[in-house]
Amino acid sequence: MFLRLRLPLLLTLLAGLIPIIAFFFKDDATFIKKPNSWLEQDMVIVSGFALLLGVVNVVQSNVRKIERREKGWLFAAVLLFGMFFMGIFGAAGAMRLGGLPGIGNYPNGTPTPFAWGSVYMFTPLQSTMFALLAFYIASAAFRAFRVRNLEATILLVAAVFVMLGRIPVGEGAFGSVTEWMMQVPNGAAQRGIIIGAALGAASLSLRVILGIERSYLGLEKSE
Amino acid sequence: MSTALAKLTTIDRRWIFLLIGLGTLIPILIPIGFPVTITPPVQSIYDKIETLGENDVVVLSYDYGPTTAAENEPMADAIIRHCFLRKVKVVALALYPLGGLTAVNGSVTRVSAEFPGLQYGVDYVNLGYKDGGQASMKLLAEDFSKAFPGDTNGTPLSTLPLMQKVTGARNAQLAVSIATGVIGEWWANLINAQYGLPVAVGCTAVSAPKYYAYLEAGQMLGLIGGLKGASEYEQLLLNGYPQTKTIYSNPMLQTASKGMDVQTIDHLIIIGFIVLGNIAYFAGRRAKQA
Amino acid sequence: MEHFDASRLNALVLFIVFCVLVLTFIGRARAGGDLFIRKIAGLNAIDEAVGRATELGKKVLYVPGIQSIDENQTIASLAVLSHVAKMTARYGTELDVPNKDPLTFASARETVREAYMQAGRPDLYNEGIVHYVTYDQFAYTAAVSGTMVRERPAANFLIGSFFAESLLLAETGQASGAIQIAGTAEVAQLPFFVCACDYTLIGEELYAAGAYLSREPSMLGSIKGQDWTKAAVALAILLGVIFESVHIFPAFKQWISIN
Repeated sequence: MFLRLRLPLLLTLLAGLIPIIAFFFKDDATFIKKPNSWLEQDMVIVSGFALLLGVVNVVQSNVRKIERREKGWLFAAVLLFGMFFMGIFGAAGAMRLGGLPGIGNYPNGTPTPFAWGSVYMFTPLQSTMFALLAFYIASAAFRAFRVRNLEATILLVAAVFVMLGRIPVGEGAFGSVTEWMMQVPNGAAQRGIIIGAALGAASLSLRVILGIERSYLGLEKSE
Repeated sequence: MSTALAKLTTIDRRWIFLLIGLGTLIPILIPIGFPVTITPPVQSIYDKIETLGENDVVVLSYDYGPTTAAENEPMADAIIRHCFLRKVKVVALALYPLGGLTAVNGSVTRVSAEFPGLQYGVDYVNLGYKDGGQASMKLLAEDFSKAFPGDTNGTPLSTLPLMQKVTGARNAQLAVSIATGVIGEWWANLINAQYGLPVAVGCTAVSAPKYYAYLEAGQMLGLIGGLKGASEYEQLLLNGYPQTKTIYSNPMLQTASKGMDVQTIDHLIIIGFIVLGNIAYFAGRRAKQA
Repeated sequence: MEHFDASRLNALVLFIVFCVLVLTFIGRARAGGDLFIRKIAGLNAIDEAVGRATELGKKVLYVPGIQSIDENQTIASLAVLSHVAKMTARYGTELDVPNKDPLTFASARETVREAYMQAGRPDLYNEGIVHYVTYDQFAYTAAVSGTMVRERPAANFLIGSFFAESLLLAETGQASGAIQIAGTAEVAQLPFFVCACDYTLIGEELYAAGAYLSREPSMLGSIKGQDWTKAAVALAILLGVIFESVHIFPAFKQWISIN
């Protein structure tokens, strides 16, 4: 009961309260700034170790998929190859093993295996995924921007004005309107949502710190 | 007629994809060269850097990866180029995982090569990437060496003259985050709000509406929004520093100004489809009534 | 008290007002006070979405965003996941929870395991329900999009913190014909979700989701306290606008300014 319930809640309380208290004190208040700095450094370390947990799960689930020849097992094999290739050469490069100068290029400018995989495989794949947005934005706009009612019409007109105002051919006619729309109505709406969301986040934080919200620990209130 | 038009509402979306693909490819192959007008949020960043000199330090955070490089890279290059032109010292770093290997290394190497008189460690430093998000940001605001024991090559910060001049980001004169996603907001929320350091952000066009709220609240001094903003900054450099014309006229350099050709054509295609979609929608309603 | 940062007194006052209001309403709720919370369509539609997946014999896909557990949106998403997992356990519907962040993955696994226990169906739980994919944003997007296209889930939940992948996921899900419920406080992504999803939880609705679904009085009380704080902030903004417009009480602006 202590390890599963009380200790996590106690740690949450401390980890939540220390940064709040530290915010209200000057830098010379070492009694609170030091534990706060320690917490911040710890977060970096914990998130690094947590990645190992994910890697173990990826290996387990994909090896299982390959063993059972499940649908798409070849994708799993490619995934594992990519992960081990980049993982091994990345770690070896970082530790300067096997004559690797790091994870970047050799002094003569040729890429290390990690840099090669990153620049010639990973980067183009990443850019391709992001580039899909241009296509999806067009299809979503075609489907969503219809003059169905007053609100949808306002949305449509605003979208067309901003699209025209952000390109050279429409900038002269719509540039100032676009800038006004972005700064005034958009700014007002964004602030409304940001203030509401910030208070919602603060309220949720308070529930977490006080142990009222426990679902992230897999616990119910009654426990 | 109405029924035929109404069928357009169910058009195979691959036709839309095809047109967008052509609208992207053709202007890349055959550049058009549309003119650029400067907007105040971009001008204010340029003006701020114009007030800085060789005794000042700018922290330039490459908070983006290869995904958004097409939008972010021209603005990052323009900012660091502007700093180098004015001999402003630059501390470059990355808080986005792939920003370290691709963005910051690429940009610093590329632009510093244009200024052979500048010396690494004295005029600029590349700290590389640090994991940990907001926690790392708070650490580097206080003391760079707490977050980065060494620079991107592992050289201890204590041996780099520039890092003796500026211990933490809060001692700099300006922080510029070229960001994808949320990291630019962190600079405004944490570094500007808590340390009072002027913060400017260059972001993707999709994130720009969100950043206007911070801009209007005074938590950011300027904003470079997407390719449009980046092309404005390039134009400001061309106007203020005519020597940059040789750089920006290089046909192999993918500048924001060239990217604006693609954006212009694609926006017009999307607007065309919106108009078409509405004609089809009304035709469908009329067909139903009939 | 020489260490206290007086320039942050305004933030401290707001913090105390906020805490007092939230704790007061939690106390009132625990004492049995009646608290009205408006209907949130996106949360009411969860039953419909899981029900549809059950009828079609297809899986429910739950994406808890791409941020870690230190992000409040992720914590709010796990509260919704707990509710969804209880329903899929009760109806015997397949659930798939792919993860981008390892800490979120560990928490999501605990949340789902516990939900299956509470629903009385621990036999239906297996370690493959909540699985880790990758730490990279777009590789994760590609993997989840692939699942949507190949396995065609009947219901997609996109709830948590999303960035550039929001439209890629929502459009792929829309094309696959799934009923989609999204929720995020990332304002730049909200328009995409509104365009491509059937229901969208906007900003604070996401943070209220756990309280709304659990109907736990103390949780609902905190929402009420939050609403009153919002009213106080709105009043401060209104006063600021009036004072600034007619040039009176300059001290108000100085005091309330961020420092």
